Amino acid sequence: MEERDSAVGTPASRPVTRRSKSYGRSCVEAPSYFWQTPGHLTVLKIPTSRGAAKSQIITNKVDPEHIALLVKNEWKLSYVTPLHCFRHTQLTSYSKHLSAFIVAEKQQGVAVEVGLEAGFKVTFTAVLGLAETDEDAETVFIQIQSKPVFAAAADAPKVVWRGWLTCVNGDPEYLRSLPSDFVSLPLFCTSGPESLTTLVKSWFERAFDCNFGSLALNSTTLNWLAALWTGCHPTCNIRYLKLAWSLPTQPPLDVSYTVNPQDAWELWNSIHTEESTDDRIDIKEVQALMNGLETHFFRHFKIYLSAGTLVKVSTALGSAQLDGKIKIGNSEYITTLLTLLTECALLKMLT
Amino acid sequence: MSLLRPYSKVPELNTATVLLVENEEELQSKLADAIVQYEKEFNVNVRLARKLPLPVENKETRPRIDLIVFIISLLSERSLQSVESSLAHLHSDCFLGKVCFLVTDARCGSHTQERLVNVRKLAASHQCPVLCAEHRVSVHTHTHTLSLS
Repeated sequence: MEERDSAVGTPASRPVTRRSKSYGRSCVEAPSYFWQTPGHLTVLKIPTSRGAAKSQIITNKVDPEHIALLVKNEWKLSYVTPLHCFRHTQLTSYSKHLSAFIVAEKQQGVAVEVGLEAGFKVTFTAVLGLAETDEDAETVFIQIQSKPVFAAAADAPKVVWRGWLTCVNGDPEYLRSLPSDFVSLPLFCTSGPESLTTLVKSWFERAFDCNFGSLALNSTTLNWLAALWTGCHPTCNIRYLKLAWSLPTQPPLDVSYTVNPQDAWELWNSIHTEESTDDRIDIKEVQALMNGLETHFFRHFKIYLSAGTLVKVSTALGSAQLDGKIKIGNSEYITTLLTLLTECALLKMLT
Repeated sequence: MSLLRPYSKVPELNTATVLLVENEEELQSKLADAIVQYEKEFNVNVRLARKLPLPVENKETRPRIDLIVFIISLLSERSLQSVESSLAHLHSDCFLGKVCFLVTDARCGSHTQERLVNVRKLAASHQCPVLCAEHRVSVHTHTHTLSLS
């Protein structure tokens, strides 16, 4: 009789989606997603209300140099499944591995050492202080520097690629339900050439057994951002509220709708009065705001904006696009933005 | 308010009438052609509308409507809004098996998933079925529609 190891039950890692539709008997409950981890059943609900944007002088908690790295760049978003055996203490060894990996990949297929981009230098930095709750892991910032091809020896290497992994106010039940070896940093933001992004992603996938996917924002998230940013107007001048719509006509019509911040604030104030002590904003109020803006537009131009899609929302506090690109304009409200994005990443990951 | 009543007229022999309501008029005509050309033992008349209430002028000449299909395009919010306002013009007896919802473009992008959730909630609250269809592959939806009527 040959010896066999006992069969180890692998945890069913397929998320169970809602029961299939039709005939109307199921699906009246609020939408939620189930995630099965060994022994636990965690439910992630799509929130219908969330706290108002709070201004935070984040430079108290985070090094201002690190903040300057995050602000004023356009980032492309992706989501990441939890990383296995990622240690914040081994960041220097990760830097060396990643730089060696990139150099090896770049030289692959090149018969003769041509000496393009000679040498990449990778730096992993831990940005402490962005994490809000105890379960959030600390943000990790990655920079890739290299010397341009025809540079003199004394030239400083230029940063060619930046990226950061973060988790801000992640769903605490979900984070607690992960096995202890896993670190969850679901939001991955990148800025730089696509070839380097794919290399970094493949290195992460090999080293930490995780999976990347692109995170596209949906119109509800953009609506939330518009409402949250408008609500910040009294404390921090947003200077404009610009919405870009795309209407499905032949050829497609692009509408750019800029609203004076004071008017936007008054509209928002009439929907969500400032005196209400409850700090939470409901999704109905957000929809009422967007309805108000759309009906105003219809009254003037006789165009139904709801027949198209909202593509971009931008204020002085930042901008967000439907295809997953964001820009952070102001460091004070960065936590609110990142909380929203972390939530989107977690929900996208689990479906 | 004029409501569309299901049982106010006498049914015709071996004939069914299907009403397709769609705000964008994209899938309507193709689906209507497919339904009419599909081989079956009974006759099917298909009427098209953009929204309810139906015009009062031909109320007398209109035959009894046996099935109302609301076509919702998930790419625009307005589609769902016009269907919701049309539902107010249906008599409550209609919802006993004479109404069904058809959604198109459910596969495009992540923002359609939330609208699909809202459509399902709407359909569930009215106890009506939801079918999914695509513009290019609408050949099979007419069989579902016919089996419902």
